[in-house]
Amino acid sequence: MAAQPKEIAGQRPSYLAEGGLVGWLTTIDHKRVAVLYGLSSLFFLFVGGFEALLVRTQLAVPNNHLLSADTYNQMFTMHGTTMIFMVIMPLEIGFFANFLIPLMIGARDVAFPRINALSFWVFIFGALFMNAGWLWHALPDAGWFGYANLTERYYSPGMNIDLWDIGLLILGVSTLLSGLNFFVTIVNMRCPGMTFMRMPMFMWAMLVTTVLILLAFPALTVGLIFLFLDRFIGTHFYVAALGATPILWQHLFWIFGHPEVYIMALPAFGIISEILPVFSRKPLFGYAGMAYALVLIAFLSYGVWGHHMFSTGMGPVADATFSITSMLIAVPTGIKIFSWIATVWGGKLRMTTAMYFALAFILEFTIGGLSGVMHASPPIDLQQTDSYFIVAHFHYVLFGGMMFAILGAFFYWWPKITGRLLDEKLGRWQFWLTVIGFNGTFFPMHFLGVLGMPRRIYTYPAGMGWTFWNSFETACAYLLGVAFLIFLVNLVRSLRSEQAVGDDPWDARTLEWSVGSPPPAHNFDDIVTVRGRDAFWLMKYGSHDAPGHDSSAGARASAAHAEAGHAHVHLPAPSWYPLLFAAGLLVMGVGAMTWLRVVFLGAGLLLVSIVGMGFEYATYGQETEESRATFFRGVDSRKMGMWAFLGSECVFFACLISTYMVYKARNLGGPDAAVLDIPLTSFSTFVLLTSSLLMVLALAAIQRGDRKWSAIWLFGTAGFGLVFLGGQVYEFSKLYLVEHLAMQDNLFGQTFYTLVGTHGTHVAIGVVWLFVMAFAALKGKLQQSRSLAVEIAGLYWHFVDIVWIVIFTLVYLMRSIKEA
Amino acid sequence: MNPHEGAQALEHEHPQAPVYLAVAVVLTVLTVLEIAVFYAPFLQPVLVPLLIVLALAKFVLVAMFYMHLHYDAGVFTSLFGFPLLLALLIGASLLMLFAYLAAHLSPVIPYL
Ligand code: HEM
Ligand SMILES: [Cu+2]
Repeated sequence: MAAQPKEIAGQRPSYLAEGGLVGWLTTIDHKRVAVLYGLSSLFFLFVGGFEALLVRTQLAVPNNHLLSADTYNQMFTMHGTTMIFMVIMPLEIGFFANFLIPLMIGARDVAFPRINALSFWVFIFGALFMNAGWLWHALPDAGWFGYANLTERYYSPGMNIDLWDIGLLILGVSTLLSGLNFFVTIVNMRCPGMTFMRMPMFMWAMLVTTVLILLAFPALTVGLIFLFLDRFIGTHFYVAALGATPILWQHLFWIFGHPEVYIMALPAFGIISEILPVFSRKPLFGYAGMAYALVLIAFLSYGVWGHHMFSTGMGPVADATFSITSMLIAVPTGIKIFSWIATVWGGKLRMTTAMYFALAFILEFTIGGLSGVMHASPPIDLQQTDSYFIVAHFHYVLFGGMMFAILGAFFYWWPKITGRLLDEKLGRWQFWLTVIGFNGTFFPMHFLGVLGMPRRIYTYPAGMGWTFWNSFETACAYLLGVAFLIFLVNLVRSLRSEQAVGDDPWDARTLEWSVGSPPPAHNFDDIVTVRGRDAFWLMKYGSHDAPGHDSSAGARASAAHAEAGHAHVHLPAPSWYPLLFAAGLLVMGVGAMTWLRVVFLGAGLLLVSIVGMGFEYATYGQETEESRATFFRGVDSRKMGMWAFLGSECVFFACLISTYMVYKARNLGGPDAAVLDIPLTSFSTFVLLTSSLLMVLALAAIQRGDRKWSAIWLFGTAGFGLVFLGGQVYEFSKLYLVEHLAMQDNLFGQTFYTLVGTHGTHVAIGVVWLFVMAFAALKGKLQQSRSLAVEIAGLYWHFVDIVWIVIFTLVYLMRSIKEA
Repeated sequence: MNPHEGAQALEHEHPQAPVYLAVAVVLTVLTVLEIAVFYAPFLQPVLVPLLIVLALAKFVLVAMFYMHLHYDAGVFTSLFGFPLLLALLIGASLLMLFAYLAAHLSPVIPYL
């Protein structure tokens, strides 16, 4: 029992205590991973801020030639891309949510600690990859939404867009994996008593955010893959030649893009919902309404993407639909705003800097929401789109909303994360400079937009009536810069100070404040049991009302974690594989831009690290017994993760398949679907169906402890998978050699090869997976107790089978159907 | 109330080989039917609805029995069903949006 007594002895050293450089490189502790995220995104915050100041400086006076048009394009593109993907998302999700989710739901770590570390390394490599453009003056330059066909090789020959495309694909892997990880964590790792309706509102916000991530990012991935093929292989997904249309990119991008704004907004809503009650000393008003509003916003956010495309001419029905759904979002958003106000109303306010930022959030965000409802109306939008009015709108929501929430979160949770307070006086200076600088920079953009100033012009002539406000905005932008410098000074000074804070400096309501500041590596000494909402408040005061002067309250609180000493806490071991995996992805990205063989090197690294992690992971269950005490007893986190992943894959394939159906109908000449070989693919279909049967037989065998037959069936499944792949290779070669259909030739060719090839890639991955597992079974490494590993591989395999059922029907058997 | 209680029966026994074999037989028959439908000239007018029904049946069978949704906790069905629904909605909307586009704009702007 006393194997690692120093871990849990009375002192409880903080999570920051041990480990040098190697400790940080191999860490899989969610708190340390969060700190890595925090430091990196703070760095990118200043990079993005620098880019913004360059943009503003360029626009300060008319006819300015400080930056060339080219540099200007690079700066505003990287400013937007950086702020969204490398600052707001990683600060909210990678930093705050990562640190807080396990602490708020009473867990020891996230569901998949290795994947968590992996997400971070993939994130940082992806971000650096894209920023490598600084070295060659070749940063991405087509705007954060990279509209086609400007992004095609013909119009953007340099490496700029390659960096953007591949960089975003890499960042997408990171985001998707964190989304998956945190989703499973919140659903499955809650401590006893922590029902959904007792979770802190930030947890609700993150739960919904992760669902949005899982179901929105696949659309972007598909769009980026098409762009990649266009640029590297010479297909024409977004080129009007051959019948394609650049509008396809707009749809794919905004199917992702609008949910993406809520991926950034909902965590901010959650943060505000934590800060306001604590400093108003009242419970959150309208808890259930707040939770349902989050769900409703998320759901609606999938039905509004067209409001970014009114000017493309989608037709009256589509315009009306997207307009109505967009305006509907204002309803749940309004519920939230009124509930926040009601939370503060009549409370005993403590005006800390965190509270200042939270209150300012409500006002500034509402201004942005209101202009949003304005351009949800198509005729109005036609005036406002692509003007500075839009720039004003999204800065009010993104800066006035998300950034204010993030700054508030820094002041609120910094003591928990570092054990030190931020200086309130500097904080107040920062706050007022931010409010003045922000409104001064962005409010006049409404005027400029209405005066007709387009966005994304690098300079403008004098005499347009735009000069005054532009100069004014630039001056205010510098004020904003000063505010952030003060923030930086405050952070550094706090880190250098000795002053330590208690566990609960704000007299807060949620579980993270019941542990040390900074928390110990294992978070909680004993598994917590929760009796209601505002769990820590209940522990302290026994009721939801504000305390009288109950002198025993504090004593009871510290008693909550005083009984340390007997729990024997295993923490999962650090690992190099996450870093290796990310390096593999980076090498693949570099390879794509240089030499093909480097791609294979990267892929090799990926494979090694995945297999390595797989076998490390096999012992995971024994490493942390607590992690088995999941909320849904008997539902393994890995299985839940696989199902969530498959859900995400549904959207991925939906985008691919609909592209195929749309483009097949627009095919202008050359071979079309009529050349598809039905007898061959019928055979393949039987092969794949049979393989699914063998897969379930393998599972049944291992479940009854029959290792030999399990191995045989697994080899059989993989073998049938190989036969299927062989059929596909034959089919592709025949199309290419006999029908002379290359990928670049026509719309049918490019979409057919892409869709069926993507499915084939899934099969190939499954085959490798099954072979690894079959060999493990053969070597006796696959015991009955690990049958779950087979079950999860099986889920993936059957899903691939299901997708084939759909493809076989829509692509092959309906080959003669022309119109979609 | 301890939420861990009452959650015990979330995972039922998985079926055994006979069930799997029966499902495989049905899947094979359905696939044969699909191919028959494809080749039968008199069925061409109803080709699309017939094929969709048959594919749907296969889809559901694999999901329910091979992927155990029929036996496992309901969480998994919603974890898969909701995204599937959303994917269908997105796909259907895309088809309609592009159908409008094709009908109202010249399909090719000849340049490049
Ligand atoms: C009631 C809520 C909202 C409505 C009705 C709304 C509506 C709109 C509309 C119609 C546009 C397109 C304008 C155009 O390009 O012509 C737009 C742009 C935008 N919105 Fe919102 N919005 C809302 C909330 C938000 C939130 C919460 C965020 C972010 C957190 C956000 C971020 C953006 C961004 C980034 C753009 C510009 C994208 C670009 O063109 O680069 N919006 N919004
Ligand atoms: Cu939008």
